[in-house]
Parts: sequence; C-alpha cells; structure tokens
Amino acid sequence: MNKIEIRKLRFHYSAGEEILSDISLDFDARSTAIIGQNGAGKTTFVKLLKGLLQPVSGDVLIDGINTRDMTVAGLARHVGLVFQNPNDQIFKNKVLDEVMFGPSNIGQSPDEARASALAALQMVGLADKQAENPYDLSLSERKLISIASIVAMHTDIIIFDEPTIAQDHAGKERIKAIIRELAKQGKLVLTIIHDMDFVAETFERTLVFAEGKVLLDGPTREVYGLPGILKQSHLEPPHITQLYNRIGCQGAVLTVEEFIAARRAGTGRPPVSA
Amino acid sequence: MKALSLYQDRGTVVHRVDSRSKLLYILSAILIPAVLPGFMPGLAMLALSILILATGKVFGKVLPLVGFSLLILASIVLIQGLFYSGNKQLLFSLWRFGFYREGLLFSGGICLRVMNILCAVSILVLTTRPSDLIESLVRLGLSPHLGYVLSSVLQIIPQMTATMETITDAQRSRGMETEGTLLVRMKAFLPLIGPVVMNSLVSTRERSLALEVRAFSARSKKTFLNPPQGGTANTVIPLVLLLAMAAAIVWRVMQ
Amino acid sequence: MKKITVSGLKYRYPLTEELALKGLSFEIEKGEFIGIIGQNLSGKSTLCQALMGLVPHFYKGGYGGSVWVDGLEVGKAEIHEIAQKVGLVFQNPFTQVSGSKMTVFEELAFGLENLGVAREDMAPRIEHAMELLGIGRFRDRNPFDLSGGQMQRMAIASVIAMEPEIIVLDEPTSQLDPQGAEDVFQAIEALSRRGMTVIMAEHKIEKIARYSDRVLLLHQGEMVAFDTPQQVFSRDDLERYGVVPPVFAQVCKGMGIRNPATGLYPMTLDEACDQVVNWHE
Repeated sequence: MNKIEIRKLRFHYSAGEEILSDISLDFDARSTAIIGQNGAGKTTFVKLLKGLLQPVSGDVLIDGINTRDMTVAGLARHVGLVFQNPNDQIFKNKVLDEVMFGPSNIGQSPDEARASALAALQMVGLADKQAENPYDLSLSERKLISIASIVAMHTDIIIFDEPTIAQDHAGKERIKAIIRELAKQGKLVLTIIHDMDFVAETFERTLVFAEGKVLLDGPTREVYGLPGILKQSHLEPPHITQLYNRIGCQGAVLTVEEFIAARRAGTGRPPVSA
Repeated sequence: MKALSLYQDRGTVVHRVDSRSKLLYILSAILIPAVLPGFMPGLAMLALSILILATGKVFGKVLPLVGFSLLILASIVLIQGLFYSGNKQLLFSLWRFGFYREGLLFSGGICLRVMNILCAVSILVLTTRPSDLIESLVRLGLSPHLGYVLSSVLQIIPQMTATMETITDAQRSRGMETEGTLLVRMKAFLPLIGPVVMNSLVSTRERSLALEVRAFSARSKKTFLNPPQGGTANTVIPLVLLLAMAAAIVWRVMQ
Repeated sequence: MKKITVSGLKYRYPLTEELALKGLSFEIEKGEFIGIIGQNLSGKSTLCQALMGLVPHFYKGGYGGSVWVDGLEVGKAEIHEIAQKVGLVFQNPFTQVSGSKMTVFEELAFGLENLGVAREDMAPRIEHAMELLGIGRFRDRNPFDLSGGQMQRMAIASVIAMEPEIIVLDEPTSQLDPQGAEDVFQAIEALSRRGMTVIMAEHKIEKIARYSDRVLLLHQGEMVAFDTPQQVFSRDDLERYGVVPPVFAQVCKGMGIRNPATGLYPMTLDEACDQVVNWHE
C-alpha cells in the first residue's frame, strides 16, 4: 500500500515563478533519498508533505488523508520531520523532557510518552544522557536528540532534512543505522540529502529534483547508473561509482565491497585491459 | 531581500543630497515654525517638504504614514476641540457637543507640527540609503561600533524573522498548536522563544568571531569606501539652513 | 621558509577542565595546502582559531606554548594585527555576512575600512578578490540574496581582499550542495596555486586526499600524524581515531593494491584508476 500519493502537485509563492510543477508520484515503504541542487524545490516539496504549505493545485494524500483536510498539528501523528538544525527545536532543559514533548502533544499519556521517549533515546544511543541538559551536549548529540524526539512520536512516515550535515564518520554511521532500523520497522523514511556516498549505502530508491520537477525516479542503483543526467542536474555519482565508470564499466556499484566483488568475479571488466 | 528600511531607490537630485544636509533640514523644520509665531511659517515649511518629497518621487510613500498619523491626530483635535482648558468661543455644535475655537487652533498647531516633522524625517528616511546615513554619522563622530549595530540591525532582524518561521514550523511539526485561544498561544510561547534565544546567541557569537577576523576591533583610524558626498550643493544647503535658523532665532529675540 | 611554527600549544576553554589542545608542535612551509582531519570535538576548530588568535584572545581561557605566523607571535599580538597575515573562513556562510553593507562590493570593503586602507587602494583589491572567487557578477547584489555557495565564496573573498598570506578554513563546505562545495574547493585550489598557504579542516576525505600536500590528523586534542595523504591514509589504525580513508584507498586496500613505487595505497580517483585497471589477481 502507498503511504503517500501525490497527484498533479503544483506550488508557487507568486504566480509565474513556479517552484514545483506538476508532480505525480507515490511513496511505498522503500527508504527514499531526494537529491538535487539547492533551489531545486526539495525543501518546498517536503513542507507540502508535512502540510506546512498547501498546494496551489493538485493533492497530497498521506495514509489516504488529504493534507488540505487536516491541520499541521493533526498531520503530526502521521508524518514526522527532523529539521536540519537541532537548535531550531530544542527548548527543554532535560533531554528526556525534550523527547517527550512531541509524543505528549499528539495524545500519548505521560507514561506512554515516557516509554516512547526512552525507547527512542535507546535507539539513537543517548539512553545514558536522558537527564542532561541538551545544551551541555555536542551539536552531533543534539542532532540525535532531535531525531529521537521525532522517532518517539511513532509516525508511519519520517522525513529527514540533511541529517548528515556537520557529522563526522561515527555520526554518519549512527544515522545510517537509525534509518535502516526505521525502514526495517516498515516505516517510510524520506531524506533530503547532498551526500551521494551516504545515499548509495543507505537508500533503496532515489529521486532527483531539478528545477521543480522530478528528473529521475528509481532504484538508487539505476539512478546512479545515469551519470549524464546527474551531471545535467549538477550532481555526480558516488565516489565508488565514479571509479567504476572511470575504469570503463557501465552502470553503478554502490559500495566498496560490491566493487571488489565485481572485479574479482571479472564481471564488468573494462573492454580493453592493459 | 526583506530589509527593515523604507529607502526608495529613485536616483533623483534629492537622493544625491548628503544625509548631513537632510539632518539639518529636519532640525530647521522643527525649529523655525516653533520660533516664529502663527501658522504661516509651519505651513510654508510643510509646503517646502512636500515639494522636496515630490521631487524625490517618494511623495506617494508618505501618504500611508500621513494617513496613519491622521487617525491619532483626529482624536487630538476631537478632544482638544471639546475639552481644551482655554476654550471660550463656541465655534459650532455637533449634536450635543460644542467645539471651541481655542481648542481647535491649539490642536491644529499640534497637527501642523507633527506633519512637519513627519515629512521632514520622511525626506531623510525615504531618500537616503541607511548605510550612507550611518556612515555619515560615523564621520561626524558616532562610534563605529554603535554605527555597525544600527546598520546591521536593519538587515539582521529580517533574517531573524526567517529563523522564527523555521522554529514555528519545527514545533508545529511536533504536534504543537500555535493558533487558537489565548491559552493555546501562551502555551506555545516557551517552545518558540527558547530556540529563538539559543539561535540568536549562537549566531551572535559566530558573527562576532567573523567580525574580529575582519579587524573590526582595529584601533587604527577607519577609512571609508565611499567618498564623502561633496559638491557645492552639499556646502550651500547646510549654510542656507543654518542661516535661516539663526535668522529666525535673532528675529524672535529682537521682538 | 617556515610560514607557521607551532610549539607545545596547549589550550583550555574557560569553565572546562579538559584541555582542548594538548601540546601540539608542527611547522608549515609557505605555499603548502594542509588538510586537518579528525572526528568532531577532536580540536580541529580550536586549532584553526588558534592560528588566527581567536584562541586565546577572543575566548580567554588557559593557554600555553606558542604559535608564530610569519614572524608574529599570535599569543602576544592583537587579533587585528594577525588579521593582516591570516584570514579565517567559518562553516556557516550566513553568520559571516557583516549585515551592515548593502552590496557585495561594499561587503568586501568592510575589513579594509576597519584596517584603515586608503580609499584609492580599496577598489583594485576588491576587484582582484572578486575575480579570484568568481563573484564579480554579483557585485551589486545584496549579500543576503546570494545562495549558500555564492555567500561562502563572498566570505572567502572578503578575507582575501585583506591580503593575508595564510588562509585557514574551518569546514567551509559542510553546509553547501555538491556544486557549491566544488566551486569553493576550486577557488581555494586556485589560491593555493598562487602561493597562498592554505589550512583546511574538513570531513570530505576524498577532497582532502586530492588537494592536500600534507594531512594533520587530530584526536582528542593531540596530533596523531602529520604527513602526506598517502602516508596518513595508509595507516592501519585510522579507525581508532574515527576516520576512514578515501573510498579509493579502501578499494585498493581491499584488493591488495599498493603503489609499486611507494608501497602505499592509491588515494585519488586518477591514481586508483591506473592501478585498478592494471590489476590481475
């Protein structure tokens, strides 16, 4: 079953300056990355899914509900959105209270909210920091708090906006694990992201936005197998795919292990070898 | 770019007059009618201001400001016309209320004065780039640090508004209601203001670091990219204004 | 000639107990491109700010050892003096906009006005900086109307106009899209080719491997290694410091490919490509 259905979606702030033009697509449970240059309409698109903006024409259906028929606060039971900058949301002086804020807002009882919050903190690896003040923790840890505070709301759909910005290797690995775990629980995970290597290793499906349209939509491997179109939208394939293409192979490999396996098996050997 | 500025870039001769002359003009527009008796000096000054605004192609922009202040002024006229302590000579009656000559004249004077100040200040605000105004104040001896604060506030406050919108979106996304009864709005206050304060603290610190890197606290004498606005007009205008003010004061003292 | 000499540099932020920098010593030559890597909180930003004198002058706190840049002792000089030798670019392009200027051209003049540069010298310096960073066509735009990548290049140009001989960049591309990041890297490479000394903290390891002459690896305030990218990224203990080698080195390591001349793993796309194509099991 489709979790999100988008029908002939159009959006602009002022007529004549179209930001999104005629987008129709469905999201099932596959984890999906949204990539594209700044200004391609990715953030606007996500705000429309969250009901923070309303379509100029067309419809967005979340779990079968039209976003026009529901308030943002109401939609919060269905869709969670982790904002780019954790400082845009944190206001409690205890980590646990911060994470309980969302669940309490959408009708979980104090006990339920506490249980959800503790489970979410466990998942992001901050269970031992629940009593601390968020602003005594590092920015990467605050990012994990903001993720936990959405996870605790038990929404069927979770959207991330640039989760890997300013994260080091360990931070990225942790976020990768969280996204995989959420996908395994059957949730739809959508992510706006600039980090192509991270997308290759983490997401099943990839959408390429360019100038308010969906230029490419397919399994991540297929999308990264089209370097010409990526270049046209000012993007490039992941580093590992670049190497694969450079040695003369067509298509895409997504991880170092795949690359080595392909070379060992002798498949995709370049047409002429030295 | 949204900026907290009413400046209109019309490139007229009024725009080319430097801000020092315009500041002196405001002083004259207040001082001369206050020193000289009767309504005539004030009316003449107002006419001159309107002429300048029209030359600067910004007269249309003053009208909303005038309209807004008229609302307040109307209430002054009403109250003073009815209840001014010196009221003696009944001019006319509306229903059961009598309007008196003294009160109306008195409030008329106030209105004229307010309009005068409003128009004279508008000349400065509508036809001078804020950064030029502040630069000329710094040249006149204003501390460069205070000058920086004044000019950056004009651009940074709109940036903060954008942050405020993001924060509102972030909290609504967590199921917080922001619209509805007073109680709902009050409950929304803390979740909104907390991140705003934190964000401003963080960006203020980052910005002050970035300013240090650009030698903001250098003690050497500051220079300016733009040459001071010179030309005969910018020497003659202040001179004429100063003479006019002096003449008005001398005349008043001689009386 | 040594452009930067750091010896026994220790630093502790006020109100904290642990040292953020635990006795660093190293030297940098004129014209080198140095990459600083390490996990978050390893001291990268603190080191960048110590080269500029923000540590200790802006924050105060406990300071030991010395940093010399171009014959000036940072710990004893004032920030505005150091600013004429060292420029620093931060992560966030928005908070680097002064906010008091209405056009890009004027924004670039901000530092020059503070330094008291003569008016007739300003325009050529600004023009030169705008040209180097490729932002000349935005000269009359409001600084806040630029995109992130353009704004970051303006921040670099604002520093370049002050004619420092050393530029330090603290994760300058982390908030930019791939195109914006690439634009910034190319602009910095151009500066480096002109003989400017470049020091850059960055997580984008493939770019660091490609552009740096030497890489400084920090871990918990200590310097673990300071050597060529090939040497540093060929270490077997990188994981302990929260760093992974470039994808290209990972492939070569996995396939047991070393550069025959050096015995080290290839680091860049070009180098790896040559070796992998010639590989036979």
